[in-house]
Amino acid sequence: MARTLAATRIDWVGVAFAVVLTIVIVFPLLVVGTWAFAEVWRFPALIPQQFGLRFWNQTLARADVWEALRTSLSLSVMVTFLSALICLPAAYAFARLKFPGRDILFFSFLVGHAFPKFGLLVAIAAIFLQLNLIGTFWGVVLIQLVGTLLFMIWIPVAAFQSVDRRMEEAARDVGAKPLRVFWSITLPQAGPTIAAAVLLSFVGTFYETEGAWLIGAPAVRTMPVLMISFINNQMVIQYGAVLSVILWVPSFVALLFARRVIGGGAFARGFGG
Amino acid sequence: MPVVLVIWMVVWPIISAIVRTIWRPDASGAYGFNLDTYIFFFTDRYSLDNLSLTLWTTGICAILLLVICLPIALYLRFSAGRLPAYVQGLAIFPMFVPSIILSYAFIRVLGPNGMVDLILNAAGLPKIRTPYLTPWGPVIGLVWDNIPLTVLILLAGLGAVTNQSVEAARDVGAGPIRVFWDIILPRLGNSILVALSFTVLGLFSAFTLPYVLGPAAPEMMGPFMQRTFRDLYDPLNATTQAVIAFGFCLVFGLFYVRSVAKNRTP
Repeated sequence: MARTLAATRIDWVGVAFAVVLTIVIVFPLLVVGTWAFAEVWRFPALIPQQFGLRFWNQTLARADVWEALRTSLSLSVMVTFLSALICLPAAYAFARLKFPGRDILFFSFLVGHAFPKFGLLVAIAAIFLQLNLIGTFWGVVLIQLVGTLLFMIWIPVAAFQSVDRRMEEAARDVGAKPLRVFWSITLPQAGPTIAAAVLLSFVGTFYETEGAWLIGAPAVRTMPVLMISFINNQMVIQYGAVLSVILWVPSFVALLFARRVIGGGAFARGFGG
Repeated sequence: MPVVLVIWMVVWPIISAIVRTIWRPDASGAYGFNLDTYIFFFTDRYSLDNLSLTLWTTGICAILLLVICLPIALYLRFSAGRLPAYVQGLAIFPMFVPSIILSYAFIRVLGPNGMVDLILNAAGLPKIRTPYLTPWGPVIGLVWDNIPLTVLILLAGLGAVTNQSVEAARDVGAGPIRVFWDIILPRLGNSILVALSFTVLGLFSAFTLPYVLGPAAPEMMGPFMQRTFRDLYDPLNATTQAVIAFGFCLVFGLFYVRSVAKNRTP
């Protein structure tokens, strides 16, 4: 009796959460979106006096925006590629092979996460200073690589571990070579999760601000670094708004792809929850 | 190969940072044990103000995050359907908003003449005292930014609470508060501590939000380190600050590693 009553009752708690979270989380972003398409928005008006795309043309005509976009994209591609090259074989080894010192090595990855990241970046930067890597492209690549390492190890390890071992053994029993087993059985099962990890590390690198600012600026200017200078020094509000909207596109793509990984709970477990 | 990289990029910088701040040449050039930079940090009014601001922000954010995220996680755990799915989607959403865009949105909404001011003005109410460039600016931004991770960790922890145990407690007449206190909280303790560790670690290294939204002085440790390193060209003191930040986070870092080790032992 009580159960059927509960089922038909309107979920007021849920409605309250939904409304409050919508206001707190979606509303600020809507305001930014509106600013990006506002040509004139003076103080007391609730909505812009004039909408238009004038500031899109102006923002996209700026050389520094294109330069930063190119820097950001080439950095992200390079970092993601290197990270995948280094981490995926390691993740497979961690998930499958038994070798001495395996646990210790695994936790050495964790240690990187157990220190405040910015302090770590400063410590790395102090070393880069002696190596003359400050203000260079490769300096930024290296420092951003650190940020992706943990990510690219954790999620793929979980993916490889969840592959059904019996199917691999069955394939081996009918005479498949190890490489063939990996290609036809292991990879298709682990693939989507690994693709999500790669995507997340790409997006994470794209938005990485601290390392790029500390090591790269002012010689290497990525999109987020450009955005900081827009916030601090730019009088035209719309430039920042347009840049925000452009910047948010990769994140939105990631959001669509990453839903299954995060919803699956592997993600939270990866963080130790 | 990845191990070498981790050692070179993580372990080595930490050791090098510690060694180089306590074992370095004095004025005459002879190497020796030297704690000057630490003595300077802990006697310098400004450095101490920055440290206490960071601790204050961390404390406030941790409390706010628990107060906000625990009810959301509890609600999500004990309900199903489309509305909870929507709530969960929203709670995780900030993870996909880069902090730099968040900073910009914050200024446009809560900054001077921002959206909140516009709405209050339209309703005939006085303007708010904007939290932009006050210590509350980073607090609001950081809480917003940390909601997804906290909710996810708490939710994962709530997975350990079985429906049977909750129903059994209800059947013997326990009220919601009693159920929460005696059944749920003991199982959730570990997750709360993990979430707390994350908040502390994240806040000590927060840079973008405090840098853009916070006051210029005193500032949080992130911007302080950055300014010491880049604007004052003083890597020695910046590294000292980093080591001090490591020290404060050590307990939480160790706890985090231990907790993951326990959950993950293959």
